[in-house]
Amino acid sequence: MSALAEPTGAPVVDPRARRRRLLRRRFLRRPMAVAGLVVVLAFVVMAIFAPWLAPFDPSATDFNATFAHGTARHLLGTDEFGRDQLSRIIWGARASMQVGFLSTLLAMGIAVPLGMVAGYYRGWIDTVIARVTDVLLSFPFLILAVGLAAILGASLLNATLALGISAVPAFIRIARGETLALREEDYIPAAVVNGANDATIIFKHILPNMTSTLLVQATVTIPGAIVGEAVLSFLGLGVQPPKPSWGTMLQDAQQYLSQAPRLAVYPGLAIVLAALAFNVLGDGLRDILDPRTTR
Amino acid sequence: MPAPLLEVADLSVRFDTDDGPVHAVDRMSFTLGQGEVLGIVGESGCGKSVTCMSLVRLLPETATVSGSVVFDGRDLLALPLRRLRQVRGREISYVFQEPMTSLNPVFTVGHQIGEVLRRHLGLSRSSARARAIELLRLVRIPAADRRLDEYPHQLSGGMRQRVMIAIAVACDPKVLVADEPTTALDVTIQAGILDLMRDIRERLGTAIILITHNLGVVADVADRVLVMYAGRKAEEAPVAELFAHPQHPYTIGLLGAIPRPYEGEGTRARLQEIPGRVPSLRELPQACAFADRCPRADELTRSEIPPLREVRPHHVVACFHPGEDGA
Repeated sequence: MSALAEPTGAPVVDPRARRRRLLRRRFLRRPMAVAGLVVVLAFVVMAIFAPWLAPFDPSATDFNATFAHGTARHLLGTDEFGRDQLSRIIWGARASMQVGFLSTLLAMGIAVPLGMVAGYYRGWIDTVIARVTDVLLSFPFLILAVGLAAILGASLLNATLALGISAVPAFIRIARGETLALREEDYIPAAVVNGANDATIIFKHILPNMTSTLLVQATVTIPGAIVGEAVLSFLGLGVQPPKPSWGTMLQDAQQYLSQAPRLAVYPGLAIVLAALAFNVLGDGLRDILDPRTTR
Repeated sequence: MPAPLLEVADLSVRFDTDDGPVHAVDRMSFTLGQGEVLGIVGESGCGKSVTCMSLVRLLPETATVSGSVVFDGRDLLALPLRRLRQVRGREISYVFQEPMTSLNPVFTVGHQIGEVLRRHLGLSRSSARARAIELLRLVRIPAADRRLDEYPHQLSGGMRQRVMIAIAVACDPKVLVADEPTTALDVTIQAGILDLMRDIRERLGTAIILITHNLGVVADVADRVLVMYAGRKAEEAPVAELFAHPQHPYTIGLLGAIPRPYEGEGTRARLQEIPGRVPSLRELPQACAFADRCPRADELTRSEIPPLREVRPHHVVACFHPGEDGA
């Protein structure tokens, strides 16, 4: 009822601007979401500006300072080759963010149209798409990704493709399920009687109604892909040493786990923090984008 | 008499289900003139809604529709889908029973009115917005310029039905089909919506097909009434004629079932119900569909389908034994 309480003499504002302001206000009332956004943005900035932010070349070795710890010169210490851990983590963010965002976008780009077509038209096309999806879903996400990465060959791009394709079935299932439910809503025939064609119905009436669901799935998929990249790199199927990635750092660290556990702790923390931040941000976005939210 | 705006001839609708065919509508014919309000009454499942949905081919693919629907010189049942979409919402538009769920929850009211205007009339965003405000005023929504930016969940049921009507009349259609537009609303709101429908007919000259099971609503708004029973037309007459001289025993039964608390002083007569129940539409009897419930039924009634006959001026009835009294 806040709309009624507004003074009637209020200056006329563009409704879009008003909605943006409302969303911002709702978002700022959720401290966890704000914290998530800050951390996500920090990682994104790290990824983009890595060359300028990193104090050292991430691959530069310094055999006079191997296993250095907590010195002013190397804040997070160095590894067995004397490479600066902070610089490697900053550069590693690049690989993680790239894989996280690109593979999720790839998965959505492939899966959402397929899922919506299957759910909207039903019939044989639905049977084909849904059954293939079921088969793919019977493989665990990481097994599928590892298998695909092994077939495609080890590189960051192939890791992105492998993780993206592995995330497709889950997105198809969600897009199809949502479409099946939404096509039964009364506003779909209401749009049909007003002359809307199939494309308008699918993209302008059904798709916007599932954005929050897709967003939630994306905020699960992005951290999943970040962890997945670390796993692939750890197994030697992703980023190739000496290029830095959180996964390869963990791989390197495992031989020295007893002498220098911090070599594993810092990249591990980076992975946990990034994954957590995306999840928390996603929860917050889901809450504020729901038009029924009143706060 | 000028050519009617909409001429439906021999419209039949059959649904092929797993348990065999269901004949929802059997050879319906009717016309609708410019600016006329036609009431279609009948009980649930008699084919009222199916008849109207089939006009612009809104039925699912399990339905087989035959006959012809000539609108403005075009047979809508034969029109290519692309052209038909230009008719839907622009020339023939619909208002449904469910105002609570017929609006898309993620868009503002203004956006949804604007969508139709942009699609059919090619209006720009800003002129669609200006026109949407006009439309909200037309359907008598107060503070229209502010309501425009609200979401459906912020409006009451009656308000939403007004918005649905605004969307329906946005492109100034020639025909408005209102399928039980007041059934989901409470009584005081119903009166307002009916008032609005009358107003729209008067101001825009829109012809209206009003589907309802409520004879009171029909008496209130319609010019002409068509009574349907089991997928067939039972009786059709101008509204005053039908109420004054009902001919078909089914119509007489319906009228007898209306409570009239203020008539006949002291004699609070018991409401009359129609005995029996609606026949299954699975197989169409080669007989009067009402025969099993009819006090006038005889051999003829049970062996032949009664043809439509004009028994009084503009008053047709499908009955072998028409007449006003429950003879």
